[in-house]
Amino acid sequence: MRTEDLIDRLARDGGPVRPLEAPVRRVLVWLAVALGFAAAMVWAIGPRPDLAERLTEARFLYEQSAALATAAAAAAAALALTLPDASRLWRFLPVIPGAAWLGTLGLGCFRDWARMGPDGLRLTPDPECFFYIALIGSLPLLVLVLMLRRGAPLRPSWTLGLAALAAAAIGNFALRLFHMEDAALMVLVWQVGAVALIAGIAALAGRAILRWPGLPA
Amino acid sequence: METVTQGATDAQTGSAPTRHAALDALMRAAQAGDERAYRALLEEVALRMRRLVCARAPWLGRADVEDIVQDILLALHSARATWDPARPFMPWIAGIARNRLADHARRYVRRQAFDEAAQDLAEVFSTTPGQTHAEGVVNLMSVRRAMDGLTSGERDAFELVRLRQMSLAEAATKRGSTVGAMKVAVHRATLKLRAAVGRDGKE
Repeated sequence: MRTEDLIDRLARDGGPVRPLEAPVRRVLVWLAVALGFAAAMVWAIGPRPDLAERLTEARFLYEQSAALATAAAAAAAALALTLPDASRLWRFLPVIPGAAWLGTLGLGCFRDWARMGPDGLRLTPDPECFFYIALIGSLPLLVLVLMLRRGAPLRPSWTLGLAALAAAAIGNFALRLFHMEDAALMVLVWQVGAVALIAGIAALAGRAILRWPGLPA
Repeated sequence: METVTQGATDAQTGSAPTRHAALDALMRAAQAGDERAYRALLEEVALRMRRLVCARAPWLGRADVEDIVQDILLALHSARATWDPARPFMPWIAGIARNRLADHARRYVRRQAFDEAAQDLAEVFSTTPGQTHAEGVVNLMSVRRAMDGLTSGERDAFELVRLRQMSLAEAATKRGSTVGAMKVAVHRATLKLRAAVGRDGKE
């Protein structure tokens, strides 16, 4: 096709478009949807009986805030990466809350060990974590992908990887509210491990899911 | 109507700030659904991108250049809602162009992955200092400078055989030369380029 013909076609196809809303607003909208879905799931599965007690524990609150902050930061980064004039450094935003998250859990491992000895670091299989995190993260991820597709697929692997990190972190946040597992090493390996795995798989699928559209019909 | 025509003229001939402001105005009108403004903007972007690609990748054929230009226009079209009217247009379109150019460059390297040419290209690009791989691939300035040091026969031979993937026999027929002469020219060109770019890398 000649370039002039393409320009002609695009110009005729180019009706009015509404510019995307500010990234902060979009993150907040996504968080509201994701947390709403997570809350419904926790309610459906049934919150853990000792939840009230956990909510008074500083360590539990730290871990949960770090997970939530990681989710928000990853979602913001994913959305920013679909804007052509946004800095590419956005992708590193979740590093800060992510490090805080891993840090609190790492510190928790030491505490468990100091308190209970080798028993505190026992690692038993807990595969249902992965299932629940994926289940609760599914709708938030779907919603975020739909939001991302309104942007430009400039860095698809990073974008989808960060989006999945955000959704899975929400899944983990919710999981802790009904799943009775607080041993730091168990949380670190099975839950944060599941989150990382999901983000990694999504990053590999990025190019297949976020693509530049072809010619308008 | 008048403003669109004026905007299109400003976008081409005004001073740099006027030019940029004119592009902003055209894009704002385009987002609002003004077909004439959008057409003027697309034409202006096509013109600039064609010039840029030709300057950076002088070895590309016309069809390949138009391919890249069209790809950038399509990307602009599909991403046009991501432009924030409160921000300048230039960094936005530059971000899109950089992305599309990097993808194309990757494709060129990949297309030649099974050929000696790929090795030459990879060598040439990896010696460009201080850049990410994709930018290094896109920024062919040092290669271009190095190409200036070749004789026209050498440049021709290198372009046909190494960059366009013709066989020595095809290239020889096209240039009305012999296979042996082509082979020698390509060899000399490769040595010169390697030397020139190597020097660049050490600077």
